[in-house]
Amino acid sequence: MGRKLLLDKAHIEGIRYYDTYRSNGGYAAAEKALKTMGPDAVLEEVKKSGLRGRGGAGFPTGLKWSFIAKPEGVPRYLVCNADESEPGTFKDRYLMEFIPHLLIEGLIISSFTLGANSAYIYIRGEYAWIPDILEQAIAEAKNKGWLGKNILGTGFDLEIYVQRGAGAYICGEETALIESLEGKRGNPRIKPPFPAVKGLWQCPTVVNNVETLAAVVPIINIGGDEYIKYGTGKSTGTKLISACGNINKPGVYEIEMNISVEEFIYSDEYCGGIKNNKRLKACIPGGSSVPVLPANLLLKTAKGETRMMTYESLADGGFATGSMLGSGGFIVMDEDQCIVRNTLTFARFYHHESCGQCSPCREGTGWMEKVLKNIEYGKGKMSDIDLLWDIQRKIEGNTICPLGDAAAWPVAAAIRHFRDEFEWHVAHPQEALTRNFGLAHYADPLPAPVAAV
Amino acid sequence: MAEVQFSEEKLNKVKEIIARYPAGKQKSALIPVLHLAQEAFGGWLSAETMDYVASLLQLEPIEVYEVATFYSMFNLKPVGTYLFEVCQTGPCMVSGSDQIVDYIKNKLGIGVGETTADGMFTLKTVECLGACGYAPMMQLGKHYREHLTPAKVDEIIAECRSKANAN
Repeated sequence: MGRKLLLDKAHIEGIRYYDTYRSNGGYAAAEKALKTMGPDAVLEEVKKSGLRGRGGAGFPTGLKWSFIAKPEGVPRYLVCNADESEPGTFKDRYLMEFIPHLLIEGLIISSFTLGANSAYIYIRGEYAWIPDILEQAIAEAKNKGWLGKNILGTGFDLEIYVQRGAGAYICGEETALIESLEGKRGNPRIKPPFPAVKGLWQCPTVVNNVETLAAVVPIINIGGDEYIKYGTGKSTGTKLISACGNINKPGVYEIEMNISVEEFIYSDEYCGGIKNNKRLKACIPGGSSVPVLPANLLLKTAKGETRMMTYESLADGGFATGSMLGSGGFIVMDEDQCIVRNTLTFARFYHHESCGQCSPCREGTGWMEKVLKNIEYGKGKMSDIDLLWDIQRKIEGNTICPLGDAAAWPVAAAIRHFRDEFEWHVAHPQEALTRNFGLAHYADPLPAPVAAV
Repeated sequence: MAEVQFSEEKLNKVKEIIARYPAGKQKSALIPVLHLAQEAFGGWLSAETMDYVASLLQLEPIEVYEVATFYSMFNLKPVGTYLFEVCQTGPCMVSGSDQIVDYIKNKLGIGVGETTADGMFTLKTVECLGACGYAPMMQLGKHYREHLTPAKVDEIIAECRSKANAN
């Protein structure tokens, strides 16, 4: 069994409520941070832990915190990004729904470190029942003296507020989130200035993902040096993976970043193998915007090494033969799935979610959807495949925010690895309407699932 | 149409929301207050409703319109009493959401974006709602309905009808 740091107590009945959370060691880290450590020591510990942003970008958290500007008399803000919208990702929802106090405790420690007296949890609007859970946890914590004025007699004040979004993927981008929190359209800002200097209401602001903030709690409890021992290399600690698609046991899993992709998919501890005894065709390992990989490149790198569930190993080979750990949204596709149709749903998604600010993204995402629709519905031409390639290249890197890249990468990877499936669609338009291309050679050679026993 | 006016209770809620932000930053309350308004005034935002929200928060009406039109959860035209928002993005699609959408269309005799003649149901397809492991799924009001099957859809429709009859 893998060791856990975030969900180790998630199974305890009543852990959603303060008393149970507290009697199981909760708020010990907040007490330690506020009473005995102080902000500088906490920052050092987080830096030492190697914690990387769990929202998808993987930027070192301690470093991000150290960038925050500290002008005299200007308030600083901590914003928790709970806008979880990357298709395939549903891990933060699990954390907030079942152990809300872990996030609240993480927010207290992090706000204390940054010198922020107000923190906002910006949660996607569709998670409409979760703000009630969070607000109850906040009220309990406040009632017990963990929030409000002069917390634990340290002179530190903190209020936490929950803000609901209203349906916009783009608000997961930190500057769009800030705009939305200010009551505006979620249009990303041009950077610099970065939020650490001019963020919410033009004040220094740090935006961190839910899981990142929760991870601060075990880091303070066990120390950065100990945290590093969970994981490998620059992938320290544990990561929540939300697994979905054609697997036997979809759900949220906490993994130590030292297991193989194969073990994650086939072992009974995690996904439990492919549903209905089908074969694995492809997988998007880190949320819809990271490159899709065919089974053979997913389980082993191009160099023939075992692919691991780490930032480095999933990225091995760059975009030519690798992908990314991203947000941990792990989407598995079996032999019956159609890559063209799947890519079309993502192109439609990004077209729908483009904020419209930058023309390459606003126009390009629409063109990609249209061309993919033609190919999927039997009206494609061979030249459309090159056209798609051309469009995605012209979006990538040419937009204010990374949504453009996020829209381009899935299309690029699908063509890169599954070009023959696109060509088959064009060459056999009638047949493509009645059946899928199938497994073809993508999964050959398919290694025996060693971890299935 | 009845005059657009929040109840005393809702007005207090608006005050409470505004108090979350520093003085003068009440524009930040816009999205939460639009949620309140949509809930209070029939599940959608009319021009009158948006103008009312603008006056409450001392904003220009255009500031409200540009936000209301940006976010997909705000309905700008009337919807049925029960709004089925079925996810159709990749992970739901590979788990059979296309069949669920077709099933609802046939069962209710409406297309996507349409409302049944009795004003009871509206069908909408939406993009990823973050329930990929429990697919196919839809949002119904405040909550998610997950692991959908045709039988489960039947149950949900029956549940809505009996709720409507009880009211």
